[in-house]
Amino acid sequence: MAKIEPGMESMLDMYFFETNSLLEQLDEILLRTEQANAFENDDIKEIFRIMHTIKGSSAMMGFDNLSVLAHKAEDMFFVIRENPDVITDVSFVYDLVFQVSDSYKAQIEAIQNNVGGEYELFDFSGLIDKLLKAKDKLSHEANGEAAPAGSASSDSGSAPASAAGDGKVSVRVFFEDGCQMENLRAFLLINTIRDECSFLEFFPADVETNTESSKEIVDHGFLITFSANDDKNYILKLIETALNVQSYEVLSDGEAAEEKTDDAPQAEIPPEPPVNLQVEKPVAPVKAAPQPAAPATQNDAAIEKAQAAVAAANQSNGSQKQSLISVNLAKLDALHDIVGEIITTESMVISNPDLEGLELESFSKAARDLKKLTGELQDTVMSIRMVPLSGVFQKMNRIVRDMRKKLGKDVEFVIEGEETEVDKSIVDNLQDPLMHLVRNCMDHGIEENVEDRIAAGKPAKGTLKLSAQNSSGEVIITVSDDGAGMDPEKLLAKARRQGILTKPESEYTEKEIQNLILLPGFSTNEQVTEFSGRGVGMDVVKANVEKCNGTITVESKKGEGTTFIIKIPLTLAIIDGMEITVGDIVFTVPISTIRESFKVETEQIVYDTGGNEMIMIRGVCYPILRLHEKFLIENEVKALEDGILLLVASDNKDICIFADKLIGEQQVVVKPFPKYLSRYNIKGEGLSGCTIMGDGSISLIIDTNNLVG
Amino acid sequence: MTNDVIKEAVAKQQSGDRKLLADNTVLGKVMTFNIGDQVYGIEIQYVTEIIGVQPITKVPHVPDYIKGIINVRSKVVPVVDIRSRFGKPEIPYNSRTCIITLSFNETSIGIIVDSVADVEDIRTSDISATPENKGVNSNEFIQYMIRSEENTTKLILDVAKLLDEQEN
Repeated sequence: MAKIEPGMESMLDMYFFETNSLLEQLDEILLRTEQANAFENDDIKEIFRIMHTIKGSSAMMGFDNLSVLAHKAEDMFFVIRENPDVITDVSFVYDLVFQVSDSYKAQIEAIQNNVGGEYELFDFSGLIDKLLKAKDKLSHEANGEAAPAGSASSDSGSAPASAAGDGKVSVRVFFEDGCQMENLRAFLLINTIRDECSFLEFFPADVETNTESSKEIVDHGFLITFSANDDKNYILKLIETALNVQSYEVLSDGEAAEEKTDDAPQAEIPPEPPVNLQVEKPVAPVKAAPQPAAPATQNDAAIEKAQAAVAAANQSNGSQKQSLISVNLAKLDALHDIVGEIITTESMVISNPDLEGLELESFSKAARDLKKLTGELQDTVMSIRMVPLSGVFQKMNRIVRDMRKKLGKDVEFVIEGEETEVDKSIVDNLQDPLMHLVRNCMDHGIEENVEDRIAAGKPAKGTLKLSAQNSSGEVIITVSDDGAGMDPEKLLAKARRQGILTKPESEYTEKEIQNLILLPGFSTNEQVTEFSGRGVGMDVVKANVEKCNGTITVESKKGEGTTFIIKIPLTLAIIDGMEITVGDIVFTVPISTIRESFKVETEQIVYDTGGNEMIMIRGVCYPILRLHEKFLIENEVKALEDGILLLVASDNKDICIFADKLIGEQQVVVKPFPKYLSRYNIKGEGLSGCTIMGDGSISLIIDTNNLVG
Repeated sequence: MTNDVIKEAVAKQQSGDRKLLADNTVLGKVMTFNIGDQVYGIEIQYVTEIIGVQPITKVPHVPDYIKGIINVRSKVVPVVDIRSRFGKPEIPYNSRTCIITLSFNETSIGIIVDSVADVEDIRTSDISATPENKGVNSNEFIQYMIRSEENTTKLILDVAKLLDEQEN
């Protein structure tokens, strides 16, 4: 067990965000290249860079095990980078890197779940051993096959050069954006490492006296060339942890492999004179910059040209960066809340009782304008919170890959409409359900034997399709396979065994039978597998989807495949509601669920044998639920003909709810119940949340799906 | 205050060392309030605000001592009647009745108290441990006590327990 160092908490969020996005990037590269079955040079460098960054930031945060793990992975890729041909067993390397990525995610999740407390420290020694062995094997092969590693790969920019081994290390340091007085910070940094170095040179050299050098440092970084007294890694660590240092990159680390070109004149130049490095600059950080032919010539014109290229590249980079900012989700939530308040207040003002009966022409006009603007404001804020589904969809890619391998099923994974945007909170809630569905389709959907597929006249390769689309205020996400489909007979038999049938079997329609699998405790797979079949799953999927106010349905045809359809409303938090009162409590019923509202006469009421009240409307009998009885409220309206009945729809069946009085329609902002109340089963009793009404009082929102339990 | 700080203070009291006994370092501040004749206190860092009693929206299917939810500047806050929570008879709310809103670890509640008394310093020399009388329902919510010059004892509530209580 370990604890996060005090003082580091503030940086944790940034660390999680950065590391998680790097890992996603890593997964994406791996999945992409695995299909091609070969690493491109750029990919190797990218993986190397990712591992390097993760190593650095993990060490800084004090997560030593993560840092070591990344370090070993980095080492392995170092060998691969030197000589991409060494990989003989590609899938072995992929599995290894995927394992590293997974271990990372697991550890980070463990830390994330226990911020401020103790977290479990995972032991990666087994994996590290594997990495070490892989590295040794690879470097062995590298030495054996292609004697001088350098000559083997001249196409890469990372080809090792000869001028090496003098122990001099060149580093380019970047300070945090906007930390100011970069020249003095650089000077402090130099002082910090001075005692540890036997040789030290830096550029710009006049940082102590010349404030103009700040600009140079901001634009191009601060270059340090040093020879360590004993351990260069110690110095790198010093640099890395120094105040305001944002990042650094090692341009050449003084050992056998240095990033230089193979140009002959280059080798003659004494290693790393500051000026020379300056010319080299465009090569490393900015891929877009044209590779200057300058290193060899070293004349002023070339330098200028190179610098111009860097400046141009930096500028274009800069403007790209500025068009995107990352914002803390809590701030967006706050903004969202405020917009909700504004909409509430607006209806408070516009439909203020004081205005009743007045002829206010210009007020009405202003009110209309205000309404239009708040509507736009709401749309804009919603759109800020929108993120594309591609992140979640890409993760499914990974799951399909793993299962394809483990189950030995040949499946093509098709993604459509991944650019569809939904609210951030929906994305978070969708990940688990989609994962379950994809696993289900892979495990149960696609046929076990290829022969069965061919016999059924289907292509040998199965297809799993994940698609998303926008449609009139809803996002529709479908997961479909072209597998065996569901057998209604089997489903029914299974449901019978589980005892979850609620009416005679003959009364079930095909659709109802298919949707049986969404009930808790239903799992069609006979055997529990690693991926599915524990009897939980589909009902969890349903619960998760319903958390976003969505619905899920199944369509399946035996022999042709299964499709799961998830529909989720785009706006979560603002609904049109009908206000009703029971006693002194105000309830809000979502208008989308109300079929009709009406007064009744005593004659319309019928009773069943248990004495339960029911009402006959157009030949259909609906049970009546008295809200005051359901929620134990003391009220005066007891006779059905004195109050009002609302016919509301729910998943299972329509019912009539009985309330005292109808107040009116209002757009309301849904707020969850306070955390303190979450231990009580309020939601299960048919209340989904609460809302603050125009007059500041609170109304409880009825969830018709849970009213009848 | 953490339990360690309290333990240390109590240990100083019991050491018998005159110098330690006279240690009157200010450790923090408490806001005191009355329930009947008894004075209770809550460390000031947990108190968000004090408001008068306002209409409370009842919530079904919760224990009796949770009176419902109120709207405190657009935040929905549950309200607990401390009298009822401590098993004392409830009295009708009057103009002196207050709701103190507390927050701890992002959970907030309001507690209904008879009246708010004062804000005062907590000094090391005033702290004493709670009597080990676990039979009394309300004692489990008392973190420690402070004595003051007038020889009255104030019971300081353990906000973490009050907010994080498990259904038992």
